[in-house]
Amino acid sequence: MTMRAENLRFDLPRLRDMTRSSRRFWSSLEELIDEEGFRAWLAAEFPAASSMFDDPGRRQFLKLMGASLLLAGLGGCRDGKSGEALPYVNQPEGVVPGVPRYYATAVTFEGYAQPVIAATYAGRPTKLDGNPDHPVTRGASDAFMQSAVFELYDPQRSKLPLKDGVPSTWGAATAALTQLRARWQERRGEGLRILTGATTSPTLIRQMAELTKQFPKMRWSQSQAIGTALQDEAMTLAFGRPITPHYQLDKCDLIVSLDHDLLGPGPHQVARAKAWAEKRGEAAPGAGRARLHAAECLPSLTGAVADSRLPCDASRVPLLAQAIAAKFGVAANKPELNPHEEKWLARAIDDLRNHAGASLFTIGPQHAPAIQALAPAVNQALKNAGLAVWYSEPILAPAEPTPLAKLAAEISAGSVDTLIMLDCNPVYDAPAGLQFAELIARVPNRVHAGLHVTETSHASQWHLPLSHALEAWSDGRAIDGSAIIGQPVVAPLYDTRSVYQLIDFLLGGSDPKADNAVRATWRERFGDQFDARWRKSLHDGFVDGTTAKPLTLSPKAPHAEQRETADQYEIVFLPDPTIWDGRFANIAWLQELPKPLTKITWDNVIAISPAIAAREKLSNGDVVDIDIGARSVRGPVWIVPGQGPRTIALFLGYGRRAGGDIGQGVGYDAYAVRPAENAFIARGRLSRAPDRPQQKIASTQAHHRMDGFDFVREVTATNPRTAPPKDTPTLYPDWNEIAERENRADHAWGMVIDLDLCIGCNACVSACNVENNVVVVGKDQVSRGREMAWLRVDRYYSGDVENPKSYFQPVPCMHCEKAPCEMGCPVHATAHSPEGVNQMVYNRCIGTRTCSSYCPYKVRRFNWYDYRNFAEAEQAVKNPDVTVRSRGVMEKCSYCTQRIQAAHVAADKEDRALRRDEVTTACQQACPTTAIVFGDLLDRESAVAKRRQSGRHYVLLEELGTRPRTTYLARWRDEPGEESA
Amino acid sequence: MSVAEARPILPTRQTYADVTDQLAGIPMHFPTRRRWLIALLISSTLLGLLFVSAVVLFSTGVGVWGLNIPVNWAFAIHNYVWWLGIGHAGTLISALLLLLGRDWRNSLNRFAETMTLFAVVCAGIYPILHLGRPWFVYWMFPYPATMKVWPQFRSPLEWDIWAVLTYLTVSVVFWYIGLVPDLAAARDRARRRRWQVFFGVLSLGWRGSAAHWQRWHQAYRLLAALAVPLVVSVHSEVSLLFAAGTIPGWHSTIFPPYFVLGAAFSGFAVVAMIAIVLRALFNLENLVTMQHLDILGKVLLACGLMTAYGYVFEVFDALYSGDPHELQTLSDRFFGQYWWSYWGAIFFNFVVLQPLWFRAARVTPWILFTISTSVAVGMWLERYMILVTSLYRDFLVSSWGEYHATFWDWATYAGTIGLFLAPFLLVIRLLPVISIFEEKEVLHDERKELRRGKA
Repeated sequence: MTMRAENLRFDLPRLRDMTRSSRRFWSSLEELIDEEGFRAWLAAEFPAASSMFDDPGRRQFLKLMGASLLLAGLGGCRDGKSGEALPYVNQPEGVVPGVPRYYATAVTFEGYAQPVIAATYAGRPTKLDGNPDHPVTRGASDAFMQSAVFELYDPQRSKLPLKDGVPSTWGAATAALTQLRARWQERRGEGLRILTGATTSPTLIRQMAELTKQFPKMRWSQSQAIGTALQDEAMTLAFGRPITPHYQLDKCDLIVSLDHDLLGPGPHQVARAKAWAEKRGEAAPGAGRARLHAAECLPSLTGAVADSRLPCDASRVPLLAQAIAAKFGVAANKPELNPHEEKWLARAIDDLRNHAGASLFTIGPQHAPAIQALAPAVNQALKNAGLAVWYSEPILAPAEPTPLAKLAAEISAGSVDTLIMLDCNPVYDAPAGLQFAELIARVPNRVHAGLHVTETSHASQWHLPLSHALEAWSDGRAIDGSAIIGQPVVAPLYDTRSVYQLIDFLLGGSDPKADNAVRATWRERFGDQFDARWRKSLHDGFVDGTTAKPLTLSPKAPHAEQRETADQYEIVFLPDPTIWDGRFANIAWLQELPKPLTKITWDNVIAISPAIAAREKLSNGDVVDIDIGARSVRGPVWIVPGQGPRTIALFLGYGRRAGGDIGQGVGYDAYAVRPAENAFIARGRLSRAPDRPQQKIASTQAHHRMDGFDFVREVTATNPRTAPPKDTPTLYPDWNEIAERENRADHAWGMVIDLDLCIGCNACVSACNVENNVVVVGKDQVSRGREMAWLRVDRYYSGDVENPKSYFQPVPCMHCEKAPCEMGCPVHATAHSPEGVNQMVYNRCIGTRTCSSYCPYKVRRFNWYDYRNFAEAEQAVKNPDVTVRSRGVMEKCSYCTQRIQAAHVAADKEDRALRRDEVTTACQQACPTTAIVFGDLLDRESAVAKRRQSGRHYVLLEELGTRPRTTYLARWRDEPGEESA
Repeated sequence: MSVAEARPILPTRQTYADVTDQLAGIPMHFPTRRRWLIALLISSTLLGLLFVSAVVLFSTGVGVWGLNIPVNWAFAIHNYVWWLGIGHAGTLISALLLLLGRDWRNSLNRFAETMTLFAVVCAGIYPILHLGRPWFVYWMFPYPATMKVWPQFRSPLEWDIWAVLTYLTVSVVFWYIGLVPDLAAARDRARRRRWQVFFGVLSLGWRGSAAHWQRWHQAYRLLAALAVPLVVSVHSEVSLLFAAGTIPGWHSTIFPPYFVLGAAFSGFAVVAMIAIVLRALFNLENLVTMQHLDILGKVLLACGLMTAYGYVFEVFDALYSGDPHELQTLSDRFFGQYWWSYWGAIFFNFVVLQPLWFRAARVTPWILFTISTSVAVGMWLERYMILVTSLYRDFLVSSWGEYHATFWDWATYAGTIGLFLAPFLLVIRLLPVISIFEEKEVLHDERKELRRGKA
């Protein structure tokens, strides 16, 4: 242990005296001030060294100096190897500069391993995409997965162990832990508590079991701001244990969702969106297409694509659930409902009955367990179990973690002596009701390990920096239960350790190797075939045959109570769609990523319904106080059309007090009013904050109604074709003839975006951003209308403000064949390639901005300032194939021209033509619903050419005659008349 | 120009020597030194502000202005158009009226040309300030680059460079050639050595011989003939900067004449303002007479009415086309966020103009000055309206935005006023503000006519 701080008194005359008179050497003020203490510490810590200090004579000095020089040199010989990493596709024959190599690995999110392929250039990962071989992602990704590289290179990541906030060393930290360990051994782990986030890691589970063996009285708790606690409880009610439900949206002809954002952000988004899109595909309504009925408190991505949508309050969800349950004989009494609800319910129930066996009924995991537990019973009654939904043993571990509330109780009882918090942040994200931040001070020994110096680090004596998932060996299970061994794709950037290394140390290991723990776990499981299976698992990105097995279970229908509606607003708590529970708060890109439905950046808002806005006379940006019980939080309101009439939504994850400059002090902290008992739904009051001016919210889209224009078109089953373009008389010769005559290229690149499949999830926007080195400009610039995203997802409303229909429309550059921008540029900085790509020549651009003025789609982005003020670590994330743009230069979507060129080069090297659909753009690759398809229009059989033949095909602003290469497929509109189909 | 000219336009009592003495004497025995110094101080301060703005701009980027996507053109372009429009009147008065033989122009052409010169300079710096990377402005010129890249000749911006540069060159040469005989006259009257050298060098050895006069007339008329098409071409070209884009509110064939007339309108307004000020300052009532003011008022009214015709036709165009985007832009102009720029333009350019139907208003200097100022403001608003109200809400509703001018937008604009006034003040301090010999020509003609009338 280091010296006690209280003994250090700075006595200058004495020090002066000591340093002047004595010939001895000293290394720190502490050493001088507290000579005795220092000696004692030295003797304890380095017994051999203490004698050296007794008489530092000339010889002794030279010896010491020689030795320290030698040691300093040895310090450079760091063990750079982090074990053996295997390439995904290419043979490891040596890195070719400029050619990326791909490795299968995993990043974790909400405890689940997300299977990814990491592209690395010269040993630095620059981009992650879903592992195409893994059934969960099948190559697609989400915004969080795309942004993991930003987390890796975050310059504000924790780099050093901290002792009471002061930089320290791993040596000191391990010494401290060794001391503690001796005490645990004495007391058999009494008072030792380990707190982690949710996890699926087999290695962590194994290590925890070993720890429990060593210290039988130790307890392991889990801190989950979002988590699955309520769902687990519901499953326990239905099945007797917290089994995991798996929804097979690709097998559902019909989905009825009660406030369950199936397609929304979260660890399941990619898999579910992919499955949903597969079912929906090209099919017209009634032709086997997944129909979706959603009732929800807050507009969600699921509600946006639903065929019928009912805005309701959280308190109505139990009633609706009971009504459906009653219909299928699962619940006893049918509650009173209002006509809107009845109408929606009638359709939903009819459809459920008609599609029995291929339908799915779900209830949001934030609702009361007794209500949620109705869903399995209804699905059982409809014979959906085993098809649309199947159940497995829990994927997350442990099955029954000691909840945070119990830990809090133990702390207040004084029975916790040491609290080790691994990769979690309870001081920030525990519900205020638990008062965790106050309680934690009562624990004598507090150790926190994490990627950042967070609120919890500040409340701990020790903070230890953790390695990022891309720097460390790890393992975990994907949402389908398949195990993934995560290999590091870069050597740790800083002096960090993985969670496994830390626990190995707690287990008594000394300086464990990075891959020790993970190897040990799998050596046990693979047995004799370890070498072969280990290599294969690393190469494939998952361990064969580990997918969860379906269980055959019969659920019990629980007894669900009706709840009274109090005279207060209903407050729902949601993770923020871009920074989740706050863990991504320091990733600037995720802060700047527009929230899918509100298009707000850099802030969380208090979402209110139009009805509340009218009643309280509020408009966007007005500051209000939300009181829940005795607690209160203050934030700006935002009116969300289609929100439940009495619903107020608070978004978690903002109002960080530590964890990095980007996330700190942005937005309000919704955890501050989160009650401990019912963590997602509460009741509270709203009052206008006195004398507070309207807060400025940076939204990337100010107007949401189409105003009578047909930017997003719809077709119906009876009228399944978009209107043909108007014949515009012209004096010019026919364009098609000219194009045919003059086009000598072998390819004509084009893109078709299916608006029926787009769920507005932002995966494409994030992928584009990472691929093309798009800069983040900050709240001020966004609020001035200067965001840089090359691809934006426009969101439109139509219909009633209380329940509008929402539309998403991704808008990249249209690559017009008759491009107004090209005509405007005075210096040829934007020009047409023979293959039809509208190109930006950055180093030729002088910044007249004529191109952008002329662009009817406003897809161009300008570098108003020099936005390239990257920290050193951030530079590593840049894609070396894409220029980083300087000040005063226009930029825009290039159809990932670097990928087109790379494909050309590859084809030329092999002396062959480009293969069909060989080139994928970053947005297309990321899209979980295959809404975006890119390819060669000259190849009649290419996916994009086929889509162009669709009756739903249309051109945005076709009347302008710009002949875009990017076109759209219209959305299907469900006509109530064909429901029975 | 069908402006009825009352004869004689200049009082015929004055002698040729009087005119020369009066005008050439102004630089050498400068009246109102105090007021001039104050004016110079103010305009130099503004010029300093321009310098500071430019340094800030060049060192940080065009982000200091209120621009964004969609409104990525605003103050820089609209002030450019405004200044260039003001710069129009000089050439129009000098060249076109010269060829048409309207000799009332001879009292106005010198300072009108001077005004043109500096207005074009003010306009000319904007396209450079406006660039994202101004240090590469030379890429707009077809110089023999090693990479063999040429400018893109389809771009209206490229034509713009040529149009403005030609206009500036011709204006400078025309102004200077017109000045030579007067410089010689000033040289001959100069007493101090300093002035003699100054005017002597500038007058290029002019001796007033018949051969000189003959060559001079040839050169002057030739340049005038060259300059006249430029009057039309420059602003037509500027209008194509907008009309060539597909943006609703811009994409219209009426733009070239609409812009040229608007330019002449604002130019005449500023000429009238300067005429009135100079007349009062230097007691030139005998040379810039009520007749001149009357004519200026009439021209202003005529240009204003034609500009108003442009407004009417823009509305008609949108309504007749029935294009929903055009209609949207029209309604945005009428009732949108920037309604004040549209109705401001209508008010200052049309409503305020109406007293000019009456001679009393035209020959009352302060009324004419007020109306002229109103026109300058109105035309500024019109240019703003054309730019901002078209861009801030173009086609896709999702990319609609807003524009708010920042301090540096305004500072740069105020700075260009300094850039205009400071050299203009120096010119009126150093050179004859009214063409001496051309005034004497008018006097000569009038006397001849008088004699003929008497005879």
